[in-house]
Amino acid sequence: MERNKKAVVLLGLIEELRDNLSWCGETHIQKATYFLQEMMQVPLGFDFILYKHGPFSFDLADEITAMRADNLLKLQPQPYPYGPSILPGEASKSLMKRFPKTLKKYSHHTALVAEKLGGKKVNELERLATALYVTFENKSSGDVQRAQRIHDLKPHVSIDEALEATKTVDQFTEDSRNIIAA
Amino acid sequence: MAKHFHEIRDPIHVFIRLDSDERKVLDSRPFQRLRYIHQLGLTYLIYPGATHRRFEHSLGVMELAGKVYDIVTEPDNIAHESVRKIVPKHKEYEYRYWRRVLRMAALCHDLGHLPFSHGAEDLFPEAWDHERLTIEIVMSDELKPIWKEIKIQAEDVAKIAVGPKKYKDAAFDDWQAILSEIIVGDAFGVDRMDYLLRDSHHAGVAYGRFDHYRLIDTLRILPREETDSVEPVLGVEEGGLHSAEALLMARYFMYTQLYFHPVRRIYDIHLKDFLKSWLPNEVFPTTVEDHLRTTDNEVTASILETAGNAGTAGYKSAQSIMSRKHFRRIYQRNPEDILKNPEAAIAIFNAACDQFSAENVRADRYRQKGGSPDFPVYTTDERIISSLAISEVLTRLPVIATDYVFVSPEIRGEAEKWLEQNREAIIEPKEGE
Repeated sequence: MERNKKAVVLLGLIEELRDNLSWCGETHIQKATYFLQEMMQVPLGFDFILYKHGPFSFDLADEITAMRADNLLKLQPQPYPYGPSILPGEASKSLMKRFPKTLKKYSHHTALVAEKLGGKKVNELERLATALYVTFENKSSGDVQRAQRIHDLKPHVSIDEALEATKTVDQFTEDSRNIIAA
Repeated sequence: MAKHFHEIRDPIHVFIRLDSDERKVLDSRPFQRLRYIHQLGLTYLIYPGATHRRFEHSLGVMELAGKVYDIVTEPDNIAHESVRKIVPKHKEYEYRYWRRVLRMAALCHDLGHLPFSHGAEDLFPEAWDHERLTIEIVMSDELKPIWKEIKIQAEDVAKIAVGPKKYKDAAFDDWQAILSEIIVGDAFGVDRMDYLLRDSHHAGVAYGRFDHYRLIDTLRILPREETDSVEPVLGVEEGGLHSAEALLMARYFMYTQLYFHPVRRIYDIHLKDFLKSWLPNEVFPTTVEDHLRTTDNEVTASILETAGNAGTAGYKSAQSIMSRKHFRRIYQRNPEDILKNPEAAIAIFNAACDQFSAENVRADRYRQKGGSPDFPVYTTDERIISSLAISEVLTRLPVIATDYVFVSPEIRGEAEKWLEQNREAIIEPKEGE
């Protein structure tokens, strides 16, 4: 996907996340984009690896910074002691206006991701994104195997928490089918 | 009696001390090659003092990496129980092993650099970069016997040297992620600390200086508690926050004043144009042997020769470099144009190519890499908070970005007039899909 269109999809996602009361910190955007690309099959082309807080894309971190340079995104300070939110910047509206078809094409995808993840905290997002990563790693694995794998990768996530995360991800996958097929 | 420790004089760190095992790597062919790779490419054509090499920078990174390791693993400096679990204890073998790996990784982190460092980076074949070549060299037969002799796993050195961003096939545990962050980390990597101090010193500009003694003394491994996560990262004690701010401001000023000096950037482009004609298939070979055989010296000799032979391939680029007939800047990004069209420079470049032909026009574009300067700060009342919640300086620090359009010196006047007359129409954004 070319850069402007990619930026428009990310801006659309961030607006949806805000509507769903997300804090929109960098981790929130990273994890929501991971779901958008890998589960909802929006071809953003970011390379995700298993890193801090679960799957993480250095390309996406670079892209967010580049969008800040171009006034498409901005940092919005949050009350002490929290880090800032990343919100649409001054130049975002005109770019979104220029790409109405792209926005519309992926609007259901971004809406579903934001609805499912918008209210989650960082540690919940870490669990869910790792559960999706593990699911893609071995699609034939059952709940218990996947929960064990999550626990192995992230020892601070208990088996029970990991099991719950795999179930949530499976439900999310189920809910996404119609949108992907449309 | 044979010496087990060696000292090397250094203009930045005064003395760099290394042991006999590290000396073996220092004496190896891949490391000695770095004596002939300029740290800042052709920057010495603008800043005559900037003739320093990757060799001394790599030694400096090793020196700083060892210091940071000693500080962050000091039991009194570990405030959080979750961090204590991942840091090896002082008397354990693991503690000594990883300290050696970290210093070796720091020493080796730039082995894959092409001639003239970043200047030629675009001329790697697809899917290659200097970090991938660094991994290849560390794992190669050139260095394998040394790792075997000193009982260090080559893969550990390679992983820590380039970090998870560039070593995608490897899994990093929390401890390894921290160690690689010490070298290549976005906020406090010692690679950055050394190059800012060293480049500033040699170029003769003050912008890159900051209080690295204070900063290193206050570095800590901290969990990101404010985000409800226990993932440990490199952070700082509140007392070191101003030196962290100074580092990040130094980076901003060095990029805007030195690294993105427009003449420096166009020399890089002329160098790339020359190298395309010099290299078979217009890309650098990626075998370790070919890489080790090529330094700035061979390229410089060829530029000199070509510049004296009109009609040879690469003549125009060689002349642009040797006779200082470099292309001239006609456009650079500015806030007003960016608001109208973030791709204004690309639009101007394309229009200029149509107007004056592509061979007379060049463009340069860069956007800062990495995330926002958000790292944990350990406050005097023993809380862990985001740096961006406590530092107004960091929240207001601009993102480094540059866009230039250059034209051949012969058409500069004409091109400037043309741009003045057509600029608004060119940058008017077109409707997308």
